[in-house]
Amino acid sequence: MSNIDNIEPPIIKDNLGSIHPINQVKEHLLKMLFDLGFQEVDGPEIESEDFNFDMLNIKKSHPARQMHDTFYVENKSNVLRTHTSPVQIRSMLETKPPIAFTSAGKVYRKDDDATHLPMFHQVEGIYVDKNVTFANLKDLIHQILHNLFGKNVQIRFRPSYFPFTEPSAEVDILSDHGKWLEILGCGIVNPVVLKNCNINPDQYSGLAFGLGVERIAMLKYGVNDIREFYKSNLDFLSQFK
Amino acid sequence: MKFLYKDLLNFLSEKPSKELLSEKLFQLGHEHEIAGDIFDMELTPNRGDCLSLNGLARDLNIFFGKVQPYKIFEGDILPLDFNFKNLSTDACPKISFLEIEIEGAVAAYKHYLENYFSLLGNNKVNFFTDVSNYISYELGQPTHCFDANTINNQLTFESKICKESFKTLLDSDINLEGKNCIFTVDNKIISLAGVMGGKSTACSSQTRKALIECAYFKPEEIISKSIKYNLVSDAAHKFERGVDIQAQEKVLRRFIAIVQDHVAIKNFKIQTFDDTEIEQSRIPIDLERVNKILGIDIEKEQYLMILNKLGFEINNNELNKPSYRHDISSQNDLAEEIARVLGYDSIKSKPLEIKNNLNENINHIYKVKNFLVQNGFSEVVNFPFTSIKDKKSITIDNPLDSNKGHLRTSLKSSLLENLQYNERRQNDSIKLFEISDLYSRADQINQERKLGLIISGRRGHNYADFSKKLDFNYLNQILNEGANQNIFTIEEISRADLKTKKKDKIFYTEVLIENIPADIYKDYKLNEEQINFIKYQPVSEFPSSVRDFSFSITDFKKYNMVLSLISNLDDDILKHAYIFDFYENKKIKEIKVGVRFIFQSVLCTLSEEEIQKTIQRLLKPILDLEGVSVPGL
Repeated sequence: MSNIDNIEPPIIKDNLGSIHPINQVKEHLLKMLFDLGFQEVDGPEIESEDFNFDMLNIKKSHPARQMHDTFYVENKSNVLRTHTSPVQIRSMLETKPPIAFTSAGKVYRKDDDATHLPMFHQVEGIYVDKNVTFANLKDLIHQILHNLFGKNVQIRFRPSYFPFTEPSAEVDILSDHGKWLEILGCGIVNPVVLKNCNINPDQYSGLAFGLGVERIAMLKYGVNDIREFYKSNLDFLSQFK
Repeated sequence: MKFLYKDLLNFLSEKPSKELLSEKLFQLGHEHEIAGDIFDMELTPNRGDCLSLNGLARDLNIFFGKVQPYKIFEGDILPLDFNFKNLSTDACPKISFLEIEIEGAVAAYKHYLENYFSLLGNNKVNFFTDVSNYISYELGQPTHCFDANTINNQLTFESKICKESFKTLLDSDINLEGKNCIFTVDNKIISLAGVMGGKSTACSSQTRKALIECAYFKPEEIISKSIKYNLVSDAAHKFERGVDIQAQEKVLRRFIAIVQDHVAIKNFKIQTFDDTEIEQSRIPIDLERVNKILGIDIEKEQYLMILNKLGFEINNNELNKPSYRHDISSQNDLAEEIARVLGYDSIKSKPLEIKNNLNENINHIYKVKNFLVQNGFSEVVNFPFTSIKDKKSITIDNPLDSNKGHLRTSLKSSLLENLQYNERRQNDSIKLFEISDLYSRADQINQERKLGLIISGRRGHNYADFSKKLDFNYLNQILNEGANQNIFTIEEISRADLKTKKKDKIFYTEVLIENIPADIYKDYKLNEEQINFIKYQPVSEFPSSVRDFSFSITDFKKYNMVLSLISNLDDDILKHAYIFDFYENKKIKEIKVGVRFIFQSVLCTLSEEEIQKTIQRLLKPILDLEGVSVPGL
């Protein structure tokens, strides 16, 4: 290339933007659940206390219902949903089992520090059919965690408490540093919740699980401070092309 | 709740190691951390019964056996003739009072009481209160100690709407509002029941005669009060989660025993006011159902043995649940008990196959995002809280920040903030978008899913776009012309009201997602690659420094090598390097390549010396090439 006429200008690379990392992880989780047979359902972020709490067996005395944990709007007539579970309630009221729904989106809690934000994202799933057992739940959770963290990941189930599931479990994975990290919550759908959705708990049982999208994103990308996701800093966002 | 490892061992017949104890606590669902000999428990809110040594030992009985290491006063106790009126038996169905008078001061605490303060870091207050706090640790039942000489008239309990101030025993003044459980004497509040006593009736080191109150308050009557009044209260924590309605008299007998252990007692009397209704606490034995819930096949003998060890009494075909287990009411609850004891991890997985439902494979929103990303836009996600209020705004009753008490009805202000944030961080080419649901109030709550787009600065950093600006035409071309229709209304946002010295024009558009035509992305290939979980690099909070160099290339054989060296430049403080100018001067047979270096450190603001040193190192391999130079360097 000794002649100037043969010189090609530098190649202009496509200047790609990026989808927000939280939405990338959310879409990834949803796609995985679609492949497992779940169908996506959507619902509002402003919810009645009935759908957000009562139908889910969260009683009036539960701490989550106090003003310090939940955002109330318009003179306590509604709340900003504290989880995506009300979407599943709405869907269960409209459909007869067998059902396999997943809902994903923003949820709100009155928190703001290095590990908690007033808004974050959840992906939840519910499956209701005849003879759904805790042993089935374990199989499903293994499938999800193997997909996310590889087949060799060590998984620990331990009892926990959620008003809408019984038995309830929290699931941990063993990190590279030998520490157990909490990954998701799950359980057998509380028969009270099924009854609230006009599903006969003597005939049907269900399993449910919920993942915090930010939690998964922080672990997978190595982000230590959850607030990084919401600074809208292009130096940060452009890393997730 | 914190406890000493050795204290819990006293309640167990076997003496497990710390590691084994920790393992079994986790298996039972009792999360904790261990520091030395102290276990710091994080119990789930349904297990208020485990907020004591005795409670944890009851749960661990199945593994290690439980013993009662403490003595209680077993003798007869004279009845207390006490002037008490309970006006709210619904809120407090059972309450006992112990009046106890001691001979003199307590010289020293026995080791078990002393350890509770010295080893667990608790503060001593006075003898009676110290015994009260210790008993709460040991048995989980809060008690409150009044100086008996300060209560000279009828003591009244009631749950009522209050509006008056009250001085707590910790000397803080609180203004009671709304419904509260209170104790009064002569219509004056002396205690916020279940949360904290008052200053006027508190025990002191001089108190020799105390009135010990020991009650069952309904959780819903106590919940949220300590947070509402900003009081740290172990008693409230326990009452909120439910205490044992049958424990009060036993706890007061333990109180007497501890006092006896320390000082001579002049006299003591007890009175209980019991308005409890017999609670139905029986659950049918239904092993088949429990096996079906869990997907296991446990034998009846083992099932009954487990429940019995957890405190359930077997009564023909029914189980009587223990009075302290407020969390048990159904077969699912019993299934959880069985699973906890067997260990969740020991329940074998059983394959689950969900019949595939039809999903819309790739949805409209994903295609819109894909189109925007390919045009260089980056997605942002913002909180919905804003200070901007319009007629349609929905107001938050209890915002985190009182200046942001409304839900946004447009994405514009959020995206404008994002743009300015990035401009302050020396970003000179900004293309952002957000897709979000927006809520507003008309006759009913209105929900709309919208896309907002904002641009400002250079079109790009390559030599073709570097000198061009992001403007109306740019946005109009990719949005409206791409769709062959004017769906997007593009507006210029004036910088007049923005605190910025930047001059680049800002353009914005917002549209309902459902109004975006599919034409807009029809020519764009979908990115169907799997997510790439990169390891994120921390973002610098320090300013960057820009240096431009114009390389003159007269030996064209070196041209490609120069480009290759430029594209492979690497250094810890080199944030970006890109070719922003390219010019062929055919007359003098010279090629000019303009390169911009942006330096930035995650650790500090860079000094000129550091930057120059790095520049020399980076440029050397390029300038070593014959026929390549940077004029004026």
